[in-house]
Amino acid sequence: MLTFSHLGKTYPDGTDAVVDFNLEVARGELIALIGPSGCGKSTTLRMVNRLIEPTSGTVMLDGQDYKSMDPVELRRRLGYVIQQIGLIPHLTIAENISFVLRLQGVNKQKRRERASELMALAGLPADQYLDRYPRELSGGQQQRIGVLRALAHDPEIILMDEPFGALDPLMREQLQDELKRLQQAVQKTIIFVTHDMDEALRIADRIVIMRAGRVIQVATPEEMLRNPADEFVAEFIGRQRLLRQASEVAVREIMLDNPAMVSADTGLAQSLEFMRRRKVDSVLVKGPNDVFVGAARARDVQRALEAREQSKISAYARHGSVFVGPDDPAMNAIHHMLAYGLDAIPVLGPGKVVVGIVTRGTLAGVLDDALRTSAAAPALEANA
Amino acid sequence: MLSELWQYTLTHGADIWSLTVQQLYLVAIPMACAIVIAVPLTILSTRVKRLYPWIIGFSNAMQTIPSLALLVLMITIGLGIGIVPATVALFVYALMPIVRNTHVGISGVPNEVKDAAIGMGATKWQLLWLVELPMALKVIVAGIRSALVMTIGFATLAALIGAGGLGSLIMQGLGMADNAIVLAGTIPAVILAFLAEFLMGRLERLLTPKGLRV
Ligand SMILES: Nc1ncnc2c1ncn2[C@@H]1O[C@H](COP(=O)(O)OP(=O)(O)O)[C@@H](O)[C@H]1O
Ligand SMILES: [Mg+2]
Repeated sequence: MLTFSHLGKTYPDGTDAVVDFNLEVARGELIALIGPSGCGKSTTLRMVNRLIEPTSGTVMLDGQDYKSMDPVELRRRLGYVIQQIGLIPHLTIAENISFVLRLQGVNKQKRRERASELMALAGLPADQYLDRYPRELSGGQQQRIGVLRALAHDPEIILMDEPFGALDPLMREQLQDELKRLQQAVQKTIIFVTHDMDEALRIADRIVIMRAGRVIQVATPEEMLRNPADEFVAEFIGRQRLLRQASEVAVREIMLDNPAMVSADTGLAQSLEFMRRRKVDSVLVKGPNDVFVGAARARDVQRALEAREQSKISAYARHGSVFVGPDDPAMNAIHHMLAYGLDAIPVLGPGKVVVGIVTRGTLAGVLDDALRTSAAAPALEANA
Repeated sequence: MLSELWQYTLTHGADIWSLTVQQLYLVAIPMACAIVIAVPLTILSTRVKRLYPWIIGFSNAMQTIPSLALLVLMITIGLGIGIVPATVALFVYALMPIVRNTHVGISGVPNEVKDAAIGMGATKWQLLWLVELPMALKVIVAGIRSALVMTIGFATLAALIGAGGLGSLIMQGLGMADNAIVLAGTIPAVILAFLAEFLMGRLERLLTPKGLRV
């Protein structure tokens, strides 16, 4: 269906971005193009829709040399999704999704029908979104629209350049699953650029790994895990796989189990003194039956004291609804801390009773371990 | 003095009106030319990049010349006096804000938006009409707005080289040391300026696509 034949690109400044790229892509296949930053993934992808003209070689589309086609016509046979999304801000979601159809002169009513149809396909409530504008949507929602937009004209081939790269890990996983589901439903050939091996392993039928403009290995995910072509591939897999630990380790295994905690009716001065003694800059607050109320920061308490406020510590307890369970993956703790800008997050058991705490310090310890083992792992694999 | 002004307005109302209309032409013609020429040319200069330094260079230079000197310059380059040299002077004077804003507006369209549109198969014209112009429109109109306000101010000076308009009334009043006549010219000129500013502000808001309003 899609054949890359000795495709190469040397930029005018002499950079050999892509060298002798050969690949045969079957209909309905999802190919992940992976490699470190600057290895030529985007250049390869953008040569397919001729946003970049190759300096050598060519691409065959159903046996036809693509150089014989008009670039605009060629692009209209392909779908294109980029990391920066690039929705058109002055157009509604409906108009954005069907923009390709507008370029092709399809009338307004048909375009809107197609937009609703695609929203339904992605399981999004059409009436809620179609008439809104891109800036009213979150990054994840915008990229969902970005993907739907590439499907509007029912192209056989879709090119995606790190489409989920700018999203947070939870959202990324969700969109990966959706994409996989969507692809099974619509049977598209997809070339998917990523630098995240997890992502490639999760969604790809075959993975193409590149380094410095050259293809190092082409293999199915299983094959690549079992038989990395060389040390570079092994290391690329290894380092990436160990970063996954954070999503596999449970909170219980890394939490500290004696967090600094006071009851809700403790006075301000007393609480502050307690924090000083424990050398912490925030304290968990528990109410009746040891139920978690929130966390109070030393900074806030100090300020309240200076303002001579006569209240209890419970008045300064914040983020009462931000916590993780002991059996959640450690990754969740990281997400929450990042999302709320916290230095620590409480771990609550049944009945919202505090059982422990995860701090930045504990997480650093986990990551440190992961990085140390990952440095050793590829060497072992390479020797084996 | 107010009663004198009233008196003058009563006796010369028709004159004031026709001078105001003349003033409108004096503003509208160079403005229309400036828009029709500067906007497309500047858009072209975002495609053919080496054009831009020439265009902005020229329009900047015209703005730098003191307005009085610019009018005199028109005479010295052989355009003589009257409506034509005044229109030319006002035209070149109005270019700069339009050129600058058109360029800022068009080149301010984020690369990823253009990249996605081209990648989806937009032709050059589709890119311009469907993506770049709507996104740049607000900025371009703001440029036209400041050009217009400047032109209205400058237009009263054009009477100095015999272009007529409200400026001639002001000069007549000055020559006769008659404040009422000066005011009869100044007040409509000021009203025109405020009106233009107000209408352009409205237009700017009207032309801003809904998705770009904040
Ligand atoms: N327009 C350009 N001119 C010169 N060099 C470029 C250009 N675009 C990319 N490069 C270089 O080509 C190489 C490959 O870039 P790219 O395909 O963007 O890599 P990736 O997408 O894998 O990060 C890099 O070394 C990059 O610096
Ligand atoms: Mg890239």
